[in-house]
Amino acid sequence: MTATMTVTRLAPGVLAIAIAGDLTAASEQELMAAHEHATDDGAQLVVLDFTGLEYMNSGGIGMLVTLLVRSQRRQQRLVAVGLSDHYRQIFELTRLDEAIGLHTDTAAALASLP
Amino acid sequence: MTGTVGLGSEFVLDSDETRDEPTPAAAVAGRTPATVAGSTPGRGRRYRGRGAEPEPEAAGATVIDVRIDPGDPLLVFLQTAPGPLEVGALPAYSPAVRRMKEQGVAIVVPLVTSGEVVGLLALGARRSERGYSRDDRRLLDNLARYAAPALRLGQLMRQQAKQARERERIEQELQVAQLIQQQFLPSQLPELGGWHVAACYRPARTVGGDFYDLIELADGRVMVVAGDVTDKGVPAALVMASTHALLRSTALSVTAPGEVLRLVNDLLVPQIPLHMFVTCLVLVIDPATGRTQFANAGHNLPYLRGRAGVTQLAARGMPLGLMPGSRYDEHETVIEPGDLVLLYSDGITEQHDASGEMFGFGRTEALVAASANGDDLVDRCMAGLAEFAGEVEQEDDITLVALHRGMGEARHDTFTVASVAGNEREVMDRVAVLVAPDLPADRLEALKTAVSETAMNAIEHGNRGRSDLPVEVAVRRTAEAITVEVSDFGRGLQREADVPDLDLKLAGLQTARGWGLFLVERLVDRVEDAIDGDRHIVRLTMHTAPAADDQPDEPGPPTEGKRP
Repeated sequence: MTATMTVTRLAPGVLAIAIAGDLTAASEQELMAAHEHATDDGAQLVVLDFTGLEYMNSGGIGMLVTLLVRSQRRQQRLVAVGLSDHYRQIFELTRLDEAIGLHTDTAAALASLP
Repeated sequence: MTGTVGLGSEFVLDSDETRDEPTPAAAVAGRTPATVAGSTPGRGRRYRGRGAEPEPEAAGATVIDVRIDPGDPLLVFLQTAPGPLEVGALPAYSPAVRRMKEQGVAIVVPLVTSGEVVGLLALGARRSERGYSRDDRRLLDNLARYAAPALRLGQLMRQQAKQARERERIEQELQVAQLIQQQFLPSQLPELGGWHVAACYRPARTVGGDFYDLIELADGRVMVVAGDVTDKGVPAALVMASTHALLRSTALSVTAPGEVLRLVNDLLVPQIPLHMFVTCLVLVIDPATGRTQFANAGHNLPYLRGRAGVTQLAARGMPLGLMPGSRYDEHETVIEPGDLVLLYSDGITEQHDASGEMFGFGRTEALVAASANGDDLVDRCMAGLAEFAGEVEQEDDITLVALHRGMGEARHDTFTVASVAGNEREVMDRVAVLVAPDLPADRLEALKTAVSETAMNAIEHGNRGRSDLPVEVAVRRTAEAITVEVSDFGRGLQREADVPDLDLKLAGLQTARGWGLFLVERLVDRVEDAIDGDRHIVRLTMHTAPAADDQPDEPGPPTEGKRP
């Protein structure tokens, strides 16, 4: 089982990638393709929507780090919404929460925009 | 190795590679025979650096090879002798001088630096058949002045290299000794019904004189042994090894603790070195009823935390190895469900802090009173001791064994999966079904991820993805804790060289991956690994309730994340 990625345009320059299912190293191509798609659409802010996430392992964490490197290179901001308490804890343990802003949902993420 | 060569009117410095003794100047004069190597016309084999002139077979220089005995009076004479000297001016009673004369040496130049004779230039008769001129002597004197410190430097470097090799060899031997000693300690603590055993062994040096063991007896009871040999380091480790072997073999036929100590003492007395002895405590526990017999040969009295508070299991006796015929009283107690017992060596109670105060029994007892369970007790003892000692280094070997009788029996389940990528998800789900009723939601989720990561390591690294190799999973549930053991056929945990760090990863200084073990260690209460035959086993422990002062994020660095 892998993840399905759905890219949605929320506002000019703001794109969401909804990640549903299991985020492991097996879904690397899908995630990177979704990010390319969002970038091609002119994303300045990428919202990773984990509401449909069922499982994520260390391979998935590693991919998020790679994604973070790529978005920093493109001067994109990355935020995450819909994380369960457990995965929020994992973001804190790995300090990903310092680089990827955490919000409860998409509305809260958009509201925090400067 | 003090090599110097004189040869007709040409001279060559030659260090004697065949003798490995790195000879400092002091050794020349004191311990090892010094060598004077030189050549006189005759045989040209050891001849080097003759400038533009080709190897003259015809010149046929002979090698002057005179070893100067450390006791030879010539050495003392040379220490203060100036410049080039005629061989006739040297003390004739010196055996080395006699040998030099036999080999046709005409003139010698002592190589003296820092007041020490490091070598000697010895030259045969001048080829022109005329004597050595004033210019020749000045040239030789200059040469000696430059050569002496260079030669000494070479000698010192060789000496240091040899000492370094020697230290390295000793260090390697100690590492091997440490591995051997670790084999004596139980690699995995036995599972005793609903009991929980936690232990910590930390020698003050590479190897130590403390020991502990848990011996499963034929009738289902368990003999718990803790001991401490006087002193520390290698001598203590040797006595520890033989005492441990005696205890193990005695336990095969005798299970009464007092009798075990009496027999081991009588076997140990004739073989133990003078002024050494062994304190030792033996408990025989029936895990089903908690009934415990114990006897003590001078070891620290264990603490028992029961409903009535903390008491000591009092039993006294002579340490092992001191007096033949010592007898040991046997005592009995019952360890009730929920009780916690701590066995400990004096490495903890007698550790000093910077002001010279000892950690003592009071602090140890307070930790026993405050701890939630055995793992917690061992962790608190080590943390408390480290904080207390501060900069003061560990003075003696430290051993802690905590026995916690749980409130109920243990339930066991095992299953296997094939080593196929993705099966870690199945392991996680099956474990979750088993343990879900016992854990609060947050602890369940944390354990699930830790189990999945551990299983993924076993599949990918331990069994290298070979689908014919199973990963075995054993789940043990008690009222206090869940343990999940994941075993594979690998050689050990794949530890990352560095702790994964997000900043380093973002800067491209670490790979993006490598979070697995980092997360496992932070998500569960305890991670241990052991080798059992051809199996490598990782044991994860998750207590059913967090310890009172557990920080949810501990021990990660403080997070200052942008929270919504």
